[in-house]
Amino acid sequence: MDEKKEFTPSIIYGLCSWCGTGGSETAGAMHLQYAENIRPFRVPCTGAIDPVYILRALIEGADGFAVSGCHPGDCHFDSGNYRARRRTAVLKSLLDTFGLDSERVWLRWVGHGEGKRFADTVNEFNDHIKEMGGNPLAKRRDT
Amino acid sequence: METMIDSRMIMTDFLAALFDKLDVAAVAAMSKLPSGEKAAYTLFTDKSGLKECVPFFPAMPANAARAISKLTREEAPSKTVAVFLRPCELRALTELIKIKQASLDNLLIISYDCSGVFPFQKINLSDETKLNAYQDAVSTGKNSEGIRPVCAACTRFTPRGADIAISIVGRSADQPLVLSFPSEKGQTAAKQLGLDVSKTVEASPAVESLARERKTAEEALTEQVNESLSGAQGLVNIFDRCISCHACSYVCPICYCKNCYFDSQTFEYFPESYFTRMTAKGTLRMPVDRVLFHLGRLSHMGISCVACGMCEDVCPVNIPVSQIFKTAGSKAQAVFDYIPGENSDDPLPLLAYAENELEEFED
Ligand code: SF4
Ligand code: SF4
Ligand code: SF4
Repeated sequence: MDEKKEFTPSIIYGLCSWCGTGGSETAGAMHLQYAENIRPFRVPCTGAIDPVYILRALIEGADGFAVSGCHPGDCHFDSGNYRARRRTAVLKSLLDTFGLDSERVWLRWVGHGEGKRFADTVNEFNDHIKEMGGNPLAKRRDT
Repeated sequence: METMIDSRMIMTDFLAALFDKLDVAAVAAMSKLPSGEKAAYTLFTDKSGLKECVPFFPAMPANAARAISKLTREEAPSKTVAVFLRPCELRALTELIKIKQASLDNLLIISYDCSGVFPFQKINLSDETKLNAYQDAVSTGKNSEGIRPVCAACTRFTPRGADIAISIVGRSADQPLVLSFPSEKGQTAAKQLGLDVSKTVEASPAVESLARERKTAEEALTEQVNESLSGAQGLVNIFDRCISCHACSYVCPICYCKNCYFDSQTFEYFPESYFTRMTAKGTLRMPVDRVLFHLGRLSHMGISCVACGMCEDVCPVNIPVSQIFKTAGSKAQAVFDYIPGENSDDPLPLLAYAENELEEFED
């Protein structure tokens, strides 16, 4: 048990420039604390995240990958978030086929004003990945 | 079930009638190569070469949907071209049409119930014993020994979406062709061919028994792939011997991209990045990105994989690529109730979205 507590997962968090990033800014403005081991990166739209980037992160060392963007109906580009959801569905299905823990990938909408939801998502995902333990694929030297 | 009629034509008559009565500009079908050993997909613009034509030769040197894409992508042919396609080639063509890489205009599609093909390297025109055994299997509706594993497990072997369908399974090779005309284009062609439509033929029970055998084989294949693929270890094991030649994507009819993402600058690294990776992992197998290529390719095109077997046919190190892609692809397709190539009106799942859907994939 203790060992799990020690484990600091490596987590990548893909945020769209509009809502996801906005949520993180609001969290900052509200001085909310959240796990420091996440590495946020900004993309124009969640629909622009090719699953290959998520796979690459999971193969190269990440223990988890979260994606946040605008709620349905709010996408700055109209339907990029729906595209992200479809791609995520395909990716999760593939990870399941290969027995690779689709639970290491999360998709959760976070609006611009939802600072608390952003901080909660980070913490929840961090705990969830801690619970799961290290990503076996990331440790392989022969991929 | 479309009405099937006895055309009273054998293949040579039928091919000639395509030119004489339907006035086609060309016929595309497999034909013998000068070496006398192999056959290739060929475009005939008149009757002179037709004696070399072997439309049913059980090999697939390339998925013919690729050839049709080249013939139709920028503009439709000005006159009708009759093209022979196996059902999986037709499904691939349907998928290509959805991504605007091909068009059906001025094509007359001839397809047939397919008994599968041998791995390309394993069949020659001179292999009489093998070809006879194959023909016996066709006439009795059984899987022939030696055909590719994905063919033996293919349950979509009937010519859905063809204009002219030839019924072969359960019939002998020397009897006149049994034809049906499922589409409007096909109906018009039937009239032009001047066929006596009163001579109907019963469906052969061999088709049903082949379908049952295929279903069982498909279940066994899925189970076997799922077993061998479990977890990071299974995944690494199965692609262990992959030499990263990317031939599997070059021959894939669905991987149409002019510049494949995995051959692009995105995957050209500065030397420094190799050292960073090596430091992180301790050792580094070169070239890198093997598992990433396969999983990434699946994430791009798995939803449209028609299980044509081409990728596996060309793999120089015998990785069961198409068995894996068929299995993983079907599972992703099931999320959207999507059957690639089945219906040209079904939009590609990665190109159509709805506001309220797939909430089970959100966290
Ligand atoms: S992945 Fe392989 S089996 Fe699937 S369509 Fe492409 S070549 Fe055919
Ligand atoms: S792997 Fe992806 S980028 Fe490469 S050809 Fe296939 S679909 Fe295109
Ligand atoms: S053809 Fe075979 S060896 Fe080449 S990249 Fe594909 S799986 Fe690897």
